[in-house]
Amino acid sequence: MSTDERNTTGGSRAAASTTPKPYWIGLGLMVMGAVWLYNAFGLPQGARYAAVGPGLFVTVAGGALLLLGALLMVQIWRGETFEAQDAEDADGATKMDRRAFLTALVAVALPIVTMGPLGMPFTATLSFVLVANAFGSRRWYLDLVYGAILASGSWFLFHQLGLQLGRFFPPLGV
Amino acid sequence: MGTFELLLQGFGVALQPTNLMWALVGSVLGTAIGILPGIGPALTIALLLPVTTALAPTSAFIMFAGILYGAMYGGSTTSILLNTPGEAGSMMTALEGNKMARAGRGAAALATAAIGSFVAGTIATLCLTFAAPAVAELAFYFKPTDYFAITALAFCSVAVVMGTSRTRGFISLFLGIAIGVIGIDTMTGQARLTFGNMQLLRGIALTVVLVSLFAVGEILYVASRYRSTPGVMAPIKGQLWMTRQDFARSWKPWLRGTAIGFPMGALPGSGSEIPTMLSYTLERKLTRYPEEFGKGAIEGVAGPEAANNAAAAGILVPLLTLGLPTSATAAVLLAAFQNYGLQPGPFLFTSNPALIWGLIASLYVGNVMLLVLNLPLVGIWVQLLRIPRPQLYAGILVFAMIGVWGLAGSWVDLTIMLVVGLAGYVMRVYDFPIAPVLIGLILGPMAETQLRTALAAGQGNPMVLVSTPLSAILITLAVLLLALPIFLKRLRAHA
Repeated sequence: MSTDERNTTGGSRAAASTTPKPYWIGLGLMVMGAVWLYNAFGLPQGARYAAVGPGLFVTVAGGALLLLGALLMVQIWRGETFEAQDAEDADGATKMDRRAFLTALVAVALPIVTMGPLGMPFTATLSFVLVANAFGSRRWYLDLVYGAILASGSWFLFHQLGLQLGRFFPPLGV
Repeated sequence: MGTFELLLQGFGVALQPTNLMWALVGSVLGTAIGILPGIGPALTIALLLPVTTALAPTSAFIMFAGILYGAMYGGSTTSILLNTPGEAGSMMTALEGNKMARAGRGAAALATAAIGSFVAGTIATLCLTFAAPAVAELAFYFKPTDYFAITALAFCSVAVVMGTSRTRGFISLFLGIAIGVIGIDTMTGQARLTFGNMQLLRGIALTVVLVSLFAVGEILYVASRYRSTPGVMAPIKGQLWMTRQDFARSWKPWLRGTAIGFPMGALPGSGSEIPTMLSYTLERKLTRYPEEFGKGAIEGVAGPEAANNAAAAGILVPLLTLGLPTSATAAVLLAAFQNYGLQPGPFLFTSNPALIWGLIASLYVGNVMLLVLNLPLVGIWVQLLRIPRPQLYAGILVFAMIGVWGLAGSWVDLTIMLVVGLAGYVMRVYDFPIAPVLIGLILGPMAETQLRTALAAGQGNPMVLVSTPLSAILITLAVLLLALPIFLKRLRAHA
């Protein structure tokens, strides 16, 4: 991407921007705000010893999210545009690659299930292979080797440094 | 004891062999991550946090300072040679620097960037040396009301300045504040928004949110819109040193960049992007060679590079004296202090002078190291760019996972990583600023404590919030800041 493109953040790329009307973001924020507000009602709002209670800030945060979510939806309705950000290796104007995104997402979600029962080195190796695949690496056997070296190597290193990362491979009890 | 003696004592700490080694480790790491895509200083420090608990705080902060400064040096290298800024603060450098490199003047561009960074870093550290104790002295007299006003102003400026619109800035900020209230309320012991989960009682750690937003969000985002055609690297040509004319054209931009960068860095919300943009615009106006701008003018490299390094020193002033973070990196540094049970602020200057002054002295040392590391060795550094992207991003996820899992060995944290990582992805796709989340998360609890203390002292009367001159001024400024874009629009409409 040339620098000239980076300068013109508005206009030229608007056509290529993603879903034009992301109402769901505003809705999501309003739901989150409502959850926070609902929780705040269960907390003492204040007045005890003339101090403000623990509920005040929760109310403020929830109320603000509720309002901002509504405001965002109004802005979207009025035609606010959203353009994906540019990153070093990513072009905001390109179309989303669903397969790559989902592969990377699986790599991020995997640890929730496997980190405890199968240990960090095993989990990290698998996630490594998945992310490399998402970025277009097709030699998964090589990635498996690289990932295993990186994951076990850092397990030993961080273990030495005193970081609690659990057992090396819990199913074998090591 | 005067500042000078304290600084000398600081050098006594910073020049100890172990601390010198940590400064070197930090400088090397900082330069490396400045060059590598996908990983910046905030993320690196966050990932190192769990590991550094075994280190003495002074050594850890000396290393972190090396990372902070080093990333600024490293970022300029990729901007110039590859036209891909490693950090947001190096965007402006790419404009002229890459043109210079393509015209065969890459060596001169790298030299003016490195020397400019050194000059600016050193002058700004000098300013920090003398400004910080003075501000800390003032901060002794601050009341909870004043602190609340400061955080309120920081919130407003972060939300208004960062990002494309105020709405989106405030959404990011309040997301951070909302996450920050989760856990046990420190003042009453009430559990808040824990949904009956025991692990949420201790709250959501800044490291988890930061790693998820920066590393996981970035990996998901880049994977979905990956541009696999690698950039073309301009060869380092031309003589390694700058010519006499290059020097003559560089030294004024260096000084002007420093003058812009240092104060701007100290202001919340401006980060390192705004000072570099200002510096670039200024140099473009002042230059005697306007025809060269856009084709590789050395002033356009010298000024912004000086500005971003000076800004890096600037963010340390509010951080060390008031405990007020003004950027994502500063927020992590604050979390690092809290990890050690230390609270930056005026009292840290009196209770732990060895740490503060050792840290400040190490900034001088680190700058010299970075100049030596970057100027002659730049050819070695760019080899880092040969790491293939698939394996690089895969490796970043492995370290992110270790950072999150290593905190408490909890699957709850890993689930938060997934959810917040997805949020980070959405924020990139729909262009929401990310730093305000972290500022809200780390400053939210602080604002809350100060607000409740102030209100308790004022027996619940909200007028207490503007009862001191400073708080009245700051709150007024915060409100004005909110209205600023509206007024600007009206002015333009009338003109």
